[in-house]
Amino acid sequence: MIIDALLLALQPSVLLYMFLGVAGGIFIGCLPGLTTTMGVALVLPITFGMDAAHSILLLIGVYVGAVYGGSISAILLNTPGTPASAATAIDGHAMAARGEAGRALGISTISSFLGGIISCFFLILISPYLAEFALQFSAPEFFMLAVFGLCIISSISGRSVLIGFLCGAFGVLIATIGIDDISGVARFTFGNINLFSGVNFIPVMIGLFAMSQAFVAVEEMTKEGRLEAKKVTRVLPLKEDWRMIFKNSSIFGTLGTFIGSIPGVGADIASFIAYGQSKSLSKESEKYGTGVTDAISAPESANNGVTGGALIPMLTLGVPGDAVAAIMIGALTVQGLQPGPLLFQNNTEVVYAIFIGLLVANVFMLCIGLSSVRLFTRVLIVPKSVLTPIIFLLCFVGSYSLANNFFDVIVMFIFGVFGYFLKKIEVSPSPIILGLILGPMAESNFRRALLMSRGEYDTFFSTGISWFFFILILISIFFPLLKKVISKLKSAN
Amino acid sequence: MKNKIKSLLISSLVITSATMSYAANNYPENAVRIIVPYSAGGGSDSVSRALAEALKPKFPEGIAVENRTGGAGSVGMSYGMHAKPNGETITMVAPELVMLPHSGNGGDIDYKKFKHLAIVNSGYAAITVPADSPYQTLDSLLNDAKDKNLLFGNSGTGSIWHIAGVGMEKAAEVEFTHIPFKGSSAAITSLLGKHLDAVSVSYAEVASQVDAGLLRTLAVLAPHRLIDAPNIPTAKELGYDVAIGTWRGYSVPLETPDYIVNYLTDAILEAAESDEFKTFMAVSNNDIDIIGPEEFEKKVQREDTFYAELISGL
Repeated sequence: MIIDALLLALQPSVLLYMFLGVAGGIFIGCLPGLTTTMGVALVLPITFGMDAAHSILLLIGVYVGAVYGGSISAILLNTPGTPASAATAIDGHAMAARGEAGRALGISTISSFLGGIISCFFLILISPYLAEFALQFSAPEFFMLAVFGLCIISSISGRSVLIGFLCGAFGVLIATIGIDDISGVARFTFGNINLFSGVNFIPVMIGLFAMSQAFVAVEEMTKEGRLEAKKVTRVLPLKEDWRMIFKNSSIFGTLGTFIGSIPGVGADIASFIAYGQSKSLSKESEKYGTGVTDAISAPESANNGVTGGALIPMLTLGVPGDAVAAIMIGALTVQGLQPGPLLFQNNTEVVYAIFIGLLVANVFMLCIGLSSVRLFTRVLIVPKSVLTPIIFLLCFVGSYSLANNFFDVIVMFIFGVFGYFLKKIEVSPSPIILGLILGPMAESNFRRALLMSRGEYDTFFSTGISWFFFILILISIFFPLLKKVISKLKSAN
Repeated sequence: MKNKIKSLLISSLVITSATMSYAANNYPENAVRIIVPYSAGGGSDSVSRALAEALKPKFPEGIAVENRTGGAGSVGMSYGMHAKPNGETITMVAPELVMLPHSGNGGDIDYKKFKHLAIVNSGYAAITVPADSPYQTLDSLLNDAKDKNLLFGNSGTGSIWHIAGVGMEKAAEVEFTHIPFKGSSAAITSLLGKHLDAVSVSYAEVASQVDAGLLRTLAVLAPHRLIDAPNIPTAKELGYDVAIGTWRGYSVPLETPDYIVNYLTDAILEAAESDEFKTFMAVSNNDIDIIGPEEFEKKVQREDTFYAELISGL
């Protein structure tokens, strides 16, 4: 059986497709506006003519590549290519600005690889148990998870936690626009058909990060004429980085796998949670935001950890772990395969081929990533007068192509201008994104939980998982305070 | 040499003007696109792409799918409704065309502003429970629903599978607690985790879990037994008069000239019978259900009245 699978997954043509998939995925991922989901959806029609192994492994290649690729533009240009690398941009770009772009990319590449590999092993060894665990998540648990995620705002808000929470609340408010999931009532749509399904958070993200950065670049161009190019000296991480990378990858790769295995929770949430947890675990948490290596390694290993995790509910239960897995289910059914428990019985060789393929895709990602770090960093040498118009163009194309709707371009532009002013007053836009992602998840699950419990509030404390997250929420709120008190006591001594 | 060029130029001019005067009846002379109001990778998208593939021989300049998403499909359908009536923009329409306007969430979409060409596919709701649920039959479930408030998952308030749950409770004169999720798969996942008593999403969406023995479908809300599930009774057989399903059809703006409408209708009906489309539909768990223009028109009208009544009663 394993030999059958090896024969399937290691055919030269499959390897070639996967290699191209990973390379294409990295390219799609690092372009702001082209998300992982979109990349996989773009490739899907091409796979209709292929056999099962070629089709699914090509898609997996694109998936793995794109999740990693987002970090490249996040680090180099401060414009996360995908939502999953928004957390990486915070410290990654700070390092690049310091002239350590190569080191930052190296850390991100190796952490992504290790995170991906760890998730592979979880997928291969304990996927049925993880699926069982993920199924225990119902509305109250999702609500608790979302609130826990929102607590991370305090870690990513930069200068002022208060402003961070204000921005987070703003994000949550934007997310209330559109037809309400629970009651079906249209909220704040002003009769505009484009607002019925809410404000898509991808154009908001492109605006807040990429467009605003491009505005800043235009401003700098008029001021200084030309920035001197920084030379990239290092590609591989420093000696002292390796231990840090291994530590982070094993913790946050595992975390990413768990988060990925919960249906409906994806790489974007995983990477933010990893950033927040890494900060609260760190001894030098006050340095976060200024270019800390841990702050790149943690979210990057978590978001690639999600890749294996997201396949778990798809392969074991036939339900998608995230939007990408939903497309893969489509691809498998077109091949005449039914994802789910029967796949393990009837098409074992395909399941094993997917396992092997995921491992191989991660190896390809590592090779392509490391060998082209120098090439990527050339972007920094490109004069801003050339680079900025390209970013402008990508912002427009990216937000239009999401739904082929010009309205998204307007949204992107408005948030671009807004993001520019945020940058001027040195406020981080990340909490807005977090609020946008987690706000609707918290709200709809809160109300769904009450519907399911018929109005009983103790439903939020009815399971171990809820309590677990509740305690985590308490810790993440009070731990920083406690730390302060302890350090004060110490200094008093 | 000069003369040669001159004559060439003149002859090419003559030819182009000749083709231009012909253009009136020369459909399709440009590339055609199918607007799919749902996202890439979903069921509507893959069915439309498969159909487009089968339509290719009839459209030498190309035929492509374009996803315009948002507003549960109203954004894309509205876009297609306002497109130039020249046959170069075809819109995929679904029951949401006649459902959304009644809940006030349809924007300006109106089924009367379309010329409906053909339906190629349909799928019906099913009442599905976890495999270890005490309910073995639809009757036992509905009996319990009389004094117990059963949790019924659906794919979103106002969505077709919510309406199916409502239709079921009306036919059985009971009341469920409807739990809306964002999409069918979230509801199915919750059912797999045994957080719900039942779901009312389509049979195609639960088929793989039912085949695997994780879920059990008690009845399908269809006018006849499904080809894929000949052992599952319809609600009608069990004495509940309810059949609710979705369909995927193709329409063009109302002012589209007849010769284009006829060309498109013939092409779609032919493509839907092609082997490659049939194979695709079979492997992707979609049932082919071909309905021509007249029946399509009547079906849309009928469902409009039906949903108006059902949705106003929510």
